[in-house]
Amino acid sequence: MAAGARLRWGQVIAESARRLSPLYLAANNPIMFVVEAGAVLLIALLAIPGAVAPGRAPLYAALAAILVVTAWFSTLSESISELQARARVDALRGLEREIIAHRISEGGGVADVRSSELRPGDRVRLSPGDFIPRDGFVVEGTALVDESMLTGESEPALRSRDDRVLGGTRVVSGSLVVEVTAEAGKGFVDRMIELVSSAKRPRTQSEVSLSLLLLVLSLVFLAVVGSLYFALYFMGYGPDVAMSVSLLVALMPTTIGGLLPAIGIAGVSRLAREGVIAKSGRAIEASGDTDVVILDKTGTVTEGNRRAVGFVPFGGYTEADVGMAAFIASIGDATKEGRSIVELAESMGYVPPSPLMEEALVARRIDFSAETRYSGVEFMWSRRPYGPRGVGRYSGPGEAIANELMELRERGEPARVIKGSVDVVLRMARPPDPRSAERAIEEVSSRGETPLLLAVNDRVVGMVVLKDRLKPGVREGLRELSEMGIRTLMITGDNPLTARAIAEEAGIWSVIARARPEDKLRAVEEQQSLGHVVGVVGDGTNDAPALARADVGLAMNSGTAAAKDAANMIDLESDPSNIIKVVKLGKQLLTTRGAITAFSIANDIAKYFTLLPMMLAPVDPAAAALNVMRLHSPTTAVLATMIFNAVIIPALIPLALRGTGFRPTSTRRMLVRNVLIFGLGGAALPFLAIKALDILITFLISAR
Amino acid sequence: MPIIYQAAQIALLFALSISAAYALSRPIASLADWRPPGPRWVSAIDALPRRVLGPAYSRGMTWSDYLLALLALNGVVLALDFALLELQPALGGPRVPPDLALNIASSFVTNTDLQHYAGRMLTVTSQMLVITYTMFVAPASGLAASLAFMRGLARRSATIGNFYADFTRSAALLLALATASALLLVAMGVPQALSGGIGAVRLGPVASLESIKLLGNNGGGYYAANSASPLENPSGLSNFYESFLMLLLPLSVPLAFGRLAGMGRGATILGAMLGGAGLLIGLALLGGARAGVEPRLGAFDTLLFNSVSMATGTGATASGLAAMSPLAVSSFLMAMFLQSVPGAVGAGFMYMMVFVLITLFVAGLLVGKTPEIMGMKITPRDVKLAAATFLVHPLLILLPLVAAFAAGQAQHLLGPPGPLEFTEVLYEFTSAAANNGSSYLGALADSPFWNCATAAVMLAGRYVPIALMLALAGSFAGKERRSTPEPVETRGALFAALLLGTALLLAVLTFFPFLVLGPFSMG
Repeated sequence: MAAGARLRWGQVIAESARRLSPLYLAANNPIMFVVEAGAVLLIALLAIPGAVAPGRAPLYAALAAILVVTAWFSTLSESISELQARARVDALRGLEREIIAHRISEGGGVADVRSSELRPGDRVRLSPGDFIPRDGFVVEGTALVDESMLTGESEPALRSRDDRVLGGTRVVSGSLVVEVTAEAGKGFVDRMIELVSSAKRPRTQSEVSLSLLLLVLSLVFLAVVGSLYFALYFMGYGPDVAMSVSLLVALMPTTIGGLLPAIGIAGVSRLAREGVIAKSGRAIEASGDTDVVILDKTGTVTEGNRRAVGFVPFGGYTEADVGMAAFIASIGDATKEGRSIVELAESMGYVPPSPLMEEALVARRIDFSAETRYSGVEFMWSRRPYGPRGVGRYSGPGEAIANELMELRERGEPARVIKGSVDVVLRMARPPDPRSAERAIEEVSSRGETPLLLAVNDRVVGMVVLKDRLKPGVREGLRELSEMGIRTLMITGDNPLTARAIAEEAGIWSVIARARPEDKLRAVEEQQSLGHVVGVVGDGTNDAPALARADVGLAMNSGTAAAKDAANMIDLESDPSNIIKVVKLGKQLLTTRGAITAFSIANDIAKYFTLLPMMLAPVDPAAAALNVMRLHSPTTAVLATMIFNAVIIPALIPLALRGTGFRPTSTRRMLVRNVLIFGLGGAALPFLAIKALDILITFLISAR
Repeated sequence: MPIIYQAAQIALLFALSISAAYALSRPIASLADWRPPGPRWVSAIDALPRRVLGPAYSRGMTWSDYLLALLALNGVVLALDFALLELQPALGGPRVPPDLALNIASSFVTNTDLQHYAGRMLTVTSQMLVITYTMFVAPASGLAASLAFMRGLARRSATIGNFYADFTRSAALLLALATASALLLVAMGVPQALSGGIGAVRLGPVASLESIKLLGNNGGGYYAANSASPLENPSGLSNFYESFLMLLLPLSVPLAFGRLAGMGRGATILGAMLGGAGLLIGLALLGGARAGVEPRLGAFDTLLFNSVSMATGTGATASGLAAMSPLAVSSFLMAMFLQSVPGAVGAGFMYMMVFVLITLFVAGLLVGKTPEIMGMKITPRDVKLAAATFLVHPLLILLPLVAAFAAGQAQHLLGPPGPLEFTEVLYEFTSAAANNGSSYLGALADSPFWNCATAAVMLAGRYVPIALMLALAGSFAGKERRSTPEPVETRGALFAALLLGTALLLAVLTFFPFLVLGPFSMG
């Protein structure tokens, strides 16, 4: 999607040229402002007759040109990242859930408007299938509203006059007129676009700190080079302005100074590519600091579709008996769970014999409800006989259950086959051997599977084993988090045994089992009070407090408006495991800044060795010994150094935009690795590159 | 002297200093961590000032109150010193010109002890009241500030302690240590008298001055020859012992911090300091000495004394600087650029903590965490304060250096400037800015320009960083702290190496051209 966003180069060039304005640089990038001022100084000296020694004018002109190009490379990187980010974020517009609402106008007519245009007090008409655009209350009508995206309750709720309804929920049947009460939030995409325009972008604390540090470092070098110029002058060494300006620009952290705006914007832009909208730059940075992530089990760690994987008999029953009972109990069950039970029984051949099947098909269905929390069938025995001697005894898999039910029919006694959670079913029925049943139930739970008990009238015959699958890739993601030293907390309504088993399978650090919705907020606060930086994912309205309280709150786009308003990031793909990507990105953003800073400062060592001996050698023979790189001449040395200094900026644009190669590992290993690569590497690279440029320039000059 | 013997002497010196510093860190930590009722010995010190000052002695101070109290006390001592020197003729001594009096007073109150005068300029009364007394005030102020700094880092509070209490207790501790070490110096042959002389050489209360001169990292000598004089530093033994005294307090402050914030942390900071000191001493020894060292002491002892003196910000010298090789001079300059390996008592520790902040900031970014120190977020304000502390030092060296040449004062004093003359001027201001006190020029620089310029640099070099560092302490004292693992661990060899590397890199990048222009080109 967003990857398709194209960069318009004409626009990039024009924008970057416009930003070379000294006013813009003075306000946004003081380091580049100094670079530009250096160029202006050199050009001014060229314009004053006699100010530049004859024969040195070409060098002055070349250096002035290189300085302008250096500043331009910086504005170029800024423009590239900004326009790229804007294109990407714009591409997200289509994904932000913007729905068409049918607004009732003053005269009673209905007009279609975008949900973002709704104001409190507006009334909208809703038909089956419509999403409720914003929180409000029912003015007229009655309807079943699917609120499962907020509450997790699969049964639609009945909503009528004066009931509150929530944005993001869907009308299943019936129709409503709803009065909107909530103010439209500013579109999230609009907010993110502000984040990527470098002039308006609010800077984060660590970015402000880094800019300060770089500014002070530049001031130090300004004092150093200025004093050096005067010291040389008073010692009668006849210093050269072009050399001094070059030394200053070479020493100032131009590389990081030039790329700093681009790095910040690229962070937002890379999030956008992952389909995540950040509401503030702070949120992105905080995500790098996250050391505890709180995850929901269902939907984040597991797929949330439990499927039947086996039947376990109790007492004297066989697996086939239980399979057949499960088939009967689920025969009219349209839920995914129910269908998976029927499919499993069919595949194992545990289908009831035909007379029983016919009875089962016409049996009264007991639907699942929130109050009873079980489902199944109640047989309505037909009077039609099955032949002269009845059907006789059935023999085959599941014969015990089949014959038991047929006997009940013979006697005309009522028969119910139900399935439900352990505690519910045990309240109505008893297993033949309670102790061994209990052990079996526990064993299933401890494997992270969910037992569903099956009862025929008051006897529990066995259980269906339901299993929730881990989402693909979640285990790898969690392993990366733990390698980075981030602890994961899984929150679930399951019993502790099941929860712990799943946690173990997925690689979760700790679980909060039998959790109620409000426990999420408690968990966030508890972890924060221990000093952790907490990331949390959520989509429901009851997640909103936790999302707001957490340092990084990632709301799903499929979630409610309340959740999205409370969170500081929104995942347009609605994949909760994206929080792992967000954390990695946040870290990468800071590492990139640190890496280029270390690189930029380490570069200075080499620059002293290229420029200083050349400045001093003619007058101070001892200093010539510092020309360890055996550069050809002062002219070639200064050109090589300044070209390197300029070219390194565009050379690092890809790194700034993409971020440093990030492998999840312990912070200690990462520190050593980055110090070696960017610190020592940054110290060594310019020696090689400047020497190579010096050879090239010497060759070009002599070839002329 | 065989190299094995030299290595053994250095190893013994550091082993003894570190062990003694470890022991001394306990009382220092108990001062930093003082809460009523506190140890009995502290109560004994407190008895008198508590009665005199009342609640002013015990109320908690914010960082700005603390700074004001420190400035007020130092200001009073500065004024007193100045007045005493001006009144010297009335007490039968020679007249001291006001610019020189200002220079002397500033020099001693700032723990610098740059001496633009010859010893005979001062009467015995002045030596005791102006010099020796102020030699207690300066390190006690530095130690007090570092106690407040440690508190700011180690505990959350609106205040960072009471300066008067910290100062009195620090001074008492220094007094006890100085008395004991003066007795040992006397035993080694340093004179302690109020009158008399050997030939043309006056005797005086030398041992009492000598002990606090070294212990408090002051550095100003009784005699112009400083520790090259046999009366200040009679033998190889006293040379060793005096080196030990210089190292004692600077090494014990980080360990005291370790007692408050975890010994691992203290040891890591100490490790970085020792690594730097080792490097600089090695460099000085590698460079060697030239003609002109005291034959009594020999090149090795002289170099060891001098490099320990520069590393600890003491500034005492066992020979003239002209007797040092260019490489040794470079090492001395580096020590003064860094000010923190280990630096003077209190101040050195605080400078190192500023480097700790800068290192943690960059290292934190490198591991993808917003930077923090000991569970506290490093905010833009903290970075601003730390960076400003780092910026002040080169400005205080380089701007006056240019001014001295621009005003023609350097040329007037030294003749046409070459590498040696440049080095001499660079050294003068570096020593003043770093509150070190060693100097090429000495009494030669007794002129209104040099007296006033160095006085200004010494005062700014002392109080501007202390103000910034106390502000940092106040900022940390107010911070929330988390008890989670540090993103960049501030203990262990890795951090010590990073810290030292960062400090060295920043100092070298700042001053490299001047080292090249000066000592490197002296040939």
